[in-house]
Amino acid sequence: MRPARKLKFRNSLLSRYLVIICFALVFIPILIPFSFMASWGVNRLLFPQSVEQEPIPRSYGSAYTLEETWHKEALALGGKTPAEIDAGLKNLKQRYPDASMFWVDAEGVTRLRLPERSGLPAKWSPEDAISYMKTAVDSDPFTIVAFIGGEKEAAGQGFMVFELPRKHMKKTTRNGDGDSRFYGFFMFLMFAFFILLSYLFFRDIRKRLLRLESGMTRTGPNGLPVRIPTGRPDEIGRLEQAFNHMVDELGHSRRRENEEEELRKSLISNLSHDLRTPLTVLAGQLYSFRKEPLSEQGRTSLSLMETKIDDLSGLIDHLLSYNLLASGRYALNLESRDVLRVVRVSAAAWYPLWEKAGIEADIDLPEEPLSWRIDEQGFRRVLDNLFQNLVRHASSGGYVGISLARRHGRTALVVTDRGPGLGAASPAKGAGLGLQIVDLLLREMSLVRETESSTEGGTRIYIYPSV
Amino acid sequence: MMTSKNILYIEDDREIGEWVSTDLKERGYGVTWLTSGDRAVEEAGSCQLAILDVMLPGLDGFTVGQRLKKQYPGLPVLMLSARTSIDDKLQGLQFADDYLTKPFHPDELAARVEVLLRRSGAASSEALELKHLLVYEKENTIKNRETGEEIVLTGKQFHIFQYLLRHLGQIMTKEQIFEAVWGEPYLDGDKTLMVHIRHLREKLERDPATPEIIETIRGIGYRVRS
Repeated sequence: MRPARKLKFRNSLLSRYLVIICFALVFIPILIPFSFMASWGVNRLLFPQSVEQEPIPRSYGSAYTLEETWHKEALALGGKTPAEIDAGLKNLKQRYPDASMFWVDAEGVTRLRLPERSGLPAKWSPEDAISYMKTAVDSDPFTIVAFIGGEKEAAGQGFMVFELPRKHMKKTTRNGDGDSRFYGFFMFLMFAFFILLSYLFFRDIRKRLLRLESGMTRTGPNGLPVRIPTGRPDEIGRLEQAFNHMVDELGHSRRRENEEEELRKSLISNLSHDLRTPLTVLAGQLYSFRKEPLSEQGRTSLSLMETKIDDLSGLIDHLLSYNLLASGRYALNLESRDVLRVVRVSAAAWYPLWEKAGIEADIDLPEEPLSWRIDEQGFRRVLDNLFQNLVRHASSGGYVGISLARRHGRTALVVTDRGPGLGAASPAKGAGLGLQIVDLLLREMSLVRETESSTEGGTRIYIYPSV
Repeated sequence: MMTSKNILYIEDDREIGEWVSTDLKERGYGVTWLTSGDRAVEEAGSCQLAILDVMLPGLDGFTVGQRLKKQYPGLPVLMLSARTSIDDKLQGLQFADDYLTKPFHPDELAARVEVLLRRSGAASSEALELKHLLVYEKENTIKNRETGEEIVLTGKQFHIFQYLLRHLGQIMTKEQIFEAVWGEPYLDGDKTLMVHIRHLREKLERDPATPEIIETIRGIGYRVRS
């Protein structure tokens, strides 16, 4: 096993996601002012401040300074005569030429108006005062009312009023309501960007995992999974590498298995050859003996020896086949085939032997094909073993029947003989291995063998699909 | 049957080689016996059939057989091997015409040799006697021995009879005959072959009701016995 290389942290998915999180956390404090600035900038760009472009005729300062100044002047005029107050107001008028001023004495009589104007009551009642104050609040002109000689409360000298159109004032509050109108949008944009980054990150992971999954389930022509292309050397990349490593190992293992299989097959072939060659020599020598003048007993012995050579040859074949089958080394190629066709070809090959053994063949098969998933060679082997057993053990019955019948609701191939039955003593031994091979082969082809045997009626062998 | 056909026989086991070549010679064949496949291609030029063992020193029987088939595609090759596994048989039958496993009976070998020679068209120029018929395979003529008349067959009838003659003594299934003669897959319950066989029998048999030449093997097919 190849030692696993250590995964570098900077290559890991964890580190990449941490970068995204840190990026988000670090940028939140920057994000808020940035969003505000961006919003302000866009606002300025889209909505230029027209007010600032208009020329301000004269500015007299902010509302606060004006109010402070007016109250200070009113305090300073405390205890002054009406004429001095008039003079004071006139002075102030010179300082604020765009402003309107008037003052009302303690009796409620309107005194000096600068400039002269109508619309003011000549004599102020409390209702007039309240009405004036109500209209003056938060309106244009900007209005300041100050008690003469008093700061916050009346000093018994009346009050003086200052009115100035707001256009002559410096604004104390900026008209910046619209500056933050894009703030939310920019914040949303930033969060959307973060969400997009996260989405792309996880989508990439998902895509690679799906590709890995489809790669893992895909099999190549040799029946093994195929190698998949590896990407970045992160956790998934490591998984891909590990999977490829596993595929390589599987391939090596399969190659080793094939080599072992070849070795085993070759060993069995050699063994078969080494056992059969002396048997062939023996058979040849026996055949030569037949040409010599022999007694009746000699001929009987020769026949017996020839039979035994045939039996031994069959047994060697069975042993070697059983070895291959039992170890699962016999590769079957299952295909949908017409079983009856295979049976007819096999019966055609065995027919001369049946004739020779005095066995009457009754083959009653329909013309319509019967398709089963079989390995043709394997099925031929099954039939060969059954027919061979029949010739060896049931030839005394002098009958072989091949037909179709219904068995447990399925169509079954039936091979019938009128021999002594399976339980009876047979003149030739060794049927067990042949039948075991039959059963192993049938099992591989999902077929079942059932045998009905009786000492009177011979044997009926049913072969039918297990499912 | 007397014939002067030459057989190339490759067998490394001296005892088996001696026995088989003697037996084949006694049956009238000329035998060139080699113990390895080294000179097989050179020697095969003068032979009508090759019998090969599989396990040979140097080149194995499969390789030798493939080389022979490449050089002489019409030369029948019979593998005679002690290797009996299905894999070996299938490998052999990919190029060889027949595969016989050891131990074998010399009569079976001789029968297969005769079938292969007949199938390859290298059969004897002498007439083949079948009951009352004399079949001249080289000339494609059939004569009734008793009347001396020549029997004329139609194209399909001739092909069917020729196919059965090339597999003399073997039972051929209806599917095998139909597919070999018509070159099409045999359909269920196809009556065409039966009709042709009936007409063939009317021409060949003394009594078509009890045929002697073309034997019906019930449930399997037909056979022409030697």
